[in-house]
Amino acid sequence: MRLLQTLRREGVLGINRRNHEFTLRWNPRRNYPLVDDKLETKRLCEAAGIPIPGLIAVARRQGDVRSMVVELASLSQFVLKPARGAMGNGILVVRGREGDRWRRAGGRLLTDEDLRYHAASIISGMYALGGQPDVAFVEELLEVHPALAEIASDGVPDVRVIVHRGVPVMSMTRLPTRRSRGRANLHQGAIGAGVDLATGRIVHAVLDNAPVTRHPDTDRPLLGIGVPSFARVLEIAVAACDETGLGYVGADVVVDARRGPVILELNARPGLAIQAANRAGLVPRLRAVGERVRPGATRAERIALGIEISVSRDEA
Amino acid sequence: MNRSAGLVGFLLVMIGAALFVWKAFVLELPLAATDAEGLWRIELEITARGAGRRGSLRAPLPSTGPGQVVFDERSASDRLVFTIRTEDGDRVGVWSGRFAGVHQVVHGFRVQLSEVTTPLPGGIGRSPSRELLARYAGSTREFPSDASDVKAFLDKLWPSAPENPLDRLRTLFGFVADEIATVPSASDDALLTLAAREGSAVGKSRLLVTLLRAIGLPARTLLGLQLFEGQTPITTQWVEAWIDGQWIPMSPIDGFFATRPANLVALRTASLAELETTAVAAVGHRYNALRERLRPEELAAMMTPASPWLARVSLYRLPVSTQSALRVLLLMPLGALVVALFRNLIGISTFGTFMPVLIALALRQVALAAGLMLVAAVLLLGILGRLVLERMHLLLVPRLGVLLCAVVLAVTSFALLGREVEVRELSVGVLFPMVILTMLIERFSVTLAEEGLRPALVRAGWSVVAAVAVYPIFHSAKAEHLMFGFPELVIVVMGVLIWIGGYTGYRVSDLIRFRAFAKPAGGAGS
Repeated sequence: MRLLQTLRREGVLGINRRNHEFTLRWNPRRNYPLVDDKLETKRLCEAAGIPIPGLIAVARRQGDVRSMVVELASLSQFVLKPARGAMGNGILVVRGREGDRWRRAGGRLLTDEDLRYHAASIISGMYALGGQPDVAFVEELLEVHPALAEIASDGVPDVRVIVHRGVPVMSMTRLPTRRSRGRANLHQGAIGAGVDLATGRIVHAVLDNAPVTRHPDTDRPLLGIGVPSFARVLEIAVAACDETGLGYVGADVVVDARRGPVILELNARPGLAIQAANRAGLVPRLRAVGERVRPGATRAERIALGIEISVSRDEA
Repeated sequence: MNRSAGLVGFLLVMIGAALFVWKAFVLELPLAATDAEGLWRIELEITARGAGRRGSLRAPLPSTGPGQVVFDERSASDRLVFTIRTEDGDRVGVWSGRFAGVHQVVHGFRVQLSEVTTPLPGGIGRSPSRELLARYAGSTREFPSDASDVKAFLDKLWPSAPENPLDRLRTLFGFVADEIATVPSASDDALLTLAAREGSAVGKSRLLVTLLRAIGLPARTLLGLQLFEGQTPITTQWVEAWIDGQWIPMSPIDGFFATRPANLVALRTASLAELETTAVAAVGHRYNALRERLRPEELAAMMTPASPWLARVSLYRLPVSTQSALRVLLLMPLGALVVALFRNLIGISTFGTFMPVLIALALRQVALAAGLMLVAAVLLLGILGRLVLERMHLLLVPRLGVLLCAVVLAVTSFALLGREVEVRELSVGVLFPMVILTMLIERFSVTLAEEGLRPALVRAGWSVVAAVAVYPIFHSAKAEHLMFGFPELVIVVMGVLIWIGGYTGYRVSDLIRFRAFAKPAGGAGS
């Protein structure tokens, strides 16, 4: 009961309320394919000049798989993904080449045959929502930015930004751990670290829903670490969400060591764990956006509004 | 909660509840099933096809007699004239007219059955009337009691002085019941059955009647129905012998003697014909039976409530087969309600939205423990199959197909096992709908592939928990009676579902996930 009161007081958003008042209300069903299909999202971002990881190859049919794998022979690093996978399922990260085989993240060696099987499984719909036939694609492997390298093990951290009606309201960075096997997925044991919208610095962090202050693998302190180019992160997150026509989106941004922030994917049903990572509820911020956002406000104005709302809430 | 959803939900609940209260308390319709023993509603459905000539269909109709009270008979037939005749003491329904195209005939009745024990007299007592002897003691083609084979057999059995006829009756019954094998494909003929020492159920009954007539006891076969709860009735036959003014029932197949079980309905004594036709080209017929849970007077109230408008929409007036389907169908909203509670208020994830309802529906046909064992076995098979098939790098659909084949094989061997060890639940498990098992294994193996063993097992576990929660509702005669007798309750369920759908508060899973908020903020965020 006390927990219930605390959650209400802090304005923590529950799944039922998220569905009713935000995803169902602000995200028109017909626009879902734009974010559920990662290739769609890429096309959208590319057309609007928003940076994305480079697309290397696409296999739409089982017949395309062989030529796609042949195309990859000259590469040593890439990521093979399903276009409509959920929760990071079916993603295969290749880190290096050894003779005629590839080394996967985590160390296992893969043959051409293994790679073809994985691509074929993706196309047969094994990782897609509802088991529908899917498309496999290969994109360039992103590199961990040096500023975050010491608090991310075996993988690339990403930054999740919740954007409501064009206004960024909350963000967190997801830091892979050895236990999450390099994946930036909180269910699998990655750290969720709340990032202050105004400063871009980590203000709170949780691992398995419990607060932590240091990275479990490197023992580095987490609090106070800044996400590099954070202003640019917010800018492309808001720009990408503007393109989708959706009013409640989670944008996943990766700060690449060479290219800076790029849009990895967008999510029309973003999870709620970001609140635990920030130790703050979304409801008051979302309400404030509803009251204060002006139709036709520029991107810069909206980002400023989001920062202002988050700061005033933190002080309150 | 959204105001319009709240209002619509409230209106629906009030409408449904008002109807329910009016029916239950003003019209005083029975709220709970009294579970009347031995009351059945039975329907005979005949499909006939004719080529434009005049013809007729004749089927036996049951009469009220020892152990059975027949009432509430109703008959529906298109373009045919229905009459009831009495032939050789049996009631026979005759549908006659010009048969053109397909004709559907339905004859329904209710019957109150009870077990009857006919006390055996001390001796042969009263002697039968001349008419009785003429009809039931003579040698006929069906019962050749003066055939030389019969005589030879009896002479061998009793070479010296004849015993008391009652003892001879017992001896002959024991001989036919125990020493003549029952073989469904064997002969229906009394003499062939005697010669081969094996016969069909009909052959054995005819042989017993023949032997009884040969020793001078009037005897006859009866055509009847054997009823089982939740299953289609089967036509059967037994034997009656006349001693001291009474017919003593006995069956050399089902093994009863003098006590007729309460699941038998006698249809006809003159012959074993289920249906006779003249000038009708093709004919099919079947019986449906449904056990009534209400006493006759309660049934009457349900079928013709005080309001004529309600009488017209009473589900109790529907054909039996439709009633059976509706009884299950009307329970589904309750299942949906439970699943909605589990998913939206508690926040557990299950396979598919209504998979637990389907599992519970499937379990309805099997005992809970046997059903759960079956589900567990299927899931285990899914895991094993995946372990083996993963190495072969098969594509998704063929791989699921292979798993489905494995499930079919497993269920088949379950059925065989069930027969061997005579565990009835296991062999009933064959009826466990295959589609539901297939869906279950598909969902399970996809989750296994996509998210790994733990999430798949967790989700399977929760699906089973939800199914087990739904199961008692699906199994409860009370719930079935309430929903079937008061279908307006579906509107109440709709209203409640709209309320749940409009609920924006926390789920139990939200509370667990955000439990860290309960502790005061420690340094971070300040």
